[in-house]
Amino acid sequence: MSSSPTTVAALRSLLAARFPERTRRSAGFIATGVRPVDEALGGGLPAGRLTELVSAAPGTGGQTVLAQLLRTTRTARQRVALIDGADGFVPAEVPPDTLRHLVWVRARSAAEAFAATDILVRDGNYAVVLLDLRGLPERTLRKTSQTTWHRLRHATESGPVAVVVQSSFPLVPAVPWRLLLNAPIGLNARRRSRSALANELTIEIARGHTDVEEQSA
Amino acid sequence: MNYAVVLVPDFSLQALRRAEPALRGKAVALAHGDGRKACLTEVSREATAVAPGLAVTLAMARCPGLIIRTRDPQAETEAHRLLLAAAFTLSPRVESTADGCCTVDLQGANRRHTETRMRACVAELNDAGLGVRIGAGGTPLLATYAAQLAAPVLLVDDACSFLADLPVMLAEPTSVQAGVLRGWGISTMGQLTALTKSEIGQRLGTEGVRLWERAAGETTRVLRLVEPAKTFAAEWTYESPVESMEPLLFRLQRFAEHVALELRGAGFVAEKLSLTLLLEDESDYRRDFRLPEPGANVDGWMRVLHGHLENVKTEARVTGVRLIATPARPAEKQDGLFDTGLRDPVVFWENLARIGALVGDDRVGTPVLPDTWRRDAITLEKPAETVLAPADEPLHPPSGLTLRRFRPPWPAWISAVGDTPVDIDSEVAAGTIRAARGPFRFSGEWWKPGDVWAVEVWHLELPNGAVYQVARSVAGWVVEGVFD
Repeated sequence: MSSSPTTVAALRSLLAARFPERTRRSAGFIATGVRPVDEALGGGLPAGRLTELVSAAPGTGGQTVLAQLLRTTRTARQRVALIDGADGFVPAEVPPDTLRHLVWVRARSAAEAFAATDILVRDGNYAVVLLDLRGLPERTLRKTSQTTWHRLRHATESGPVAVVVQSSFPLVPAVPWRLLLNAPIGLNARRRSRSALANELTIEIARGHTDVEEQSA
Repeated sequence: MNYAVVLVPDFSLQALRRAEPALRGKAVALAHGDGRKACLTEVSREATAVAPGLAVTLAMARCPGLIIRTRDPQAETEAHRLLLAAAFTLSPRVESTADGCCTVDLQGANRRHTETRMRACVAELNDAGLGVRIGAGGTPLLATYAAQLAAPVLLVDDACSFLADLPVMLAEPTSVQAGVLRGWGISTMGQLTALTKSEIGQRLGTEGVRLWERAAGETTRVLRLVEPAKTFAAEWTYESPVESMEPLLFRLQRFAEHVALELRGAGFVAEKLSLTLLLEDESDYRRDFRLPEPGANVDGWMRVLHGHLENVKTEARVTGVRLIATPARPAEKQDGLFDTGLRDPVVFWENLARIGALVGDDRVGTPVLPDTWRRDAITLEKPAETVLAPADEPLHPPSGLTLRRFRPPWPAWISAVGDTPVDIDSEVAAGTIRAARGPFRFSGEWWKPGDVWAVEVWHLELPNGAVYQVARSVAGWVVEGVFD
């Protein structure tokens, strides 16, 4: 009879040995260009992982994170897909060259957004797939089936794409990473450079996966 | 090798089996005539102990389980179109010789390349459910002989040695001539042409000379050329209305095969597909699909159509289906050595087409800003296959938070002191305004009567710290978005 693990680290090692697929580490990181986000995630959006970015209130910087992500991935020449559930993205808000690598899907409903995401996550040509659910009715989103999330997570983990779900409230069950933006930035910030503003966003880690802990353990 | 003949053996039967896949692998025969005079015209390989010409009643007695069918003109028309389309991939000069038979003028064509194309053509038609043979020779007649004996491609370079051992019956003698030749002990074309043409003329007359010429492969003729397809469309009417997707997909697959071949034969690709379902209540359902990557790939088209049909519900049963491809010239380009291309371009374009079918073709793509001050003007373009190196940083980098729009904007009721808003009420933002910035005035197209527009924009900060963009036009106040 084998002895029971005595520490959390030992338990993790045991689980990793028994279920290597479930405990597979991220294949790399994709920098967002927003320092607090990259630091919270240990280097950027983990490839092959789902990350949820919750904008708990309007004006907390969720759209600015998206703008910075577009800028950074454009520099790295990585393709990005934005599935815009409520059709809120404003291309004129970013420099035109920052849009060259973007595929924008202007969905009309949560169902359309999920269906498009399901296709794009499996595509293999994108470095980042961003599903923006902000602005969609909360009641509709709450009714999203567990199967939909499970399918999305499974598709994400079986490929190299980093998937980000942006929402107005915690939504994705069992998500590896959930970051909370909860401090609105007022009108006085209008003259400050967007990069500087992005680096001052207040990020709270509401849920964090244990890759970093595993490495240290 | 100046001519080729593309021949479909048992054409009517093959066309029928192509249209009705349930008949594949079964003993099937085509019958002609009524009542007791009905006899078989074509018989499938699976049918044993029966042959063309046999009375239907006798055939059914000899081969239990034999399925007797009559010809299907609609299926034959579609199969012949497919055959013609395939023939046009060999040469632009094609004659529609008979049902299931095309003669192609190959004069000036490179022999090796033509043979390769012929084999590709056979493979493609086989995939599309049509077994063909292709023969090529110096005259249309020689090519026809070669096609009858091909397995599946036969090119005749030396006509004399090829004809020498062919049965003389291939030259189609009349029954009287056949009897005379039998009496002379002549059974091959070589034996017949060993006699001089004048001696045959003296004994069998003018018809005999023609037979000799046919046996010598000398007969030639001018081809009656047909024009390649100018419209790339196909339509089918069902005998009984359909309710499920499978018959539709099957028919569309067949359409796609021959329309794609017609496009390729004419040097085109499709940039758009139009699907029309004709419904039982005499209405129709129509949908256009813009193909992000113009092409003539049947599988790609089918994935787009399948993806769409999965979500379609019609008010009535489907009685017919029509598919139209809009042609375009294929794009030619060469990527740069250091460009970042797509890992899998086929999947990329197919997935975009599927999403286009889901959300609308005009709602997916790469955003481009048009040269206008009009509010929220956006154009979506086809994404680039390669992500080129980024341009230099803009001289004035963006500042402040990023606007996220409400589309459509929310109506708002704003009270103001002087010109400055002090209080707002709307679905998304309500309360006393803590700080306001504005007005920013925009207007345009004053030179176009009826299109002139003008708005006054304000940025309003509410007590919770959120900053909203509101606009006032002649229609009143709206909340356009939030800075986030």
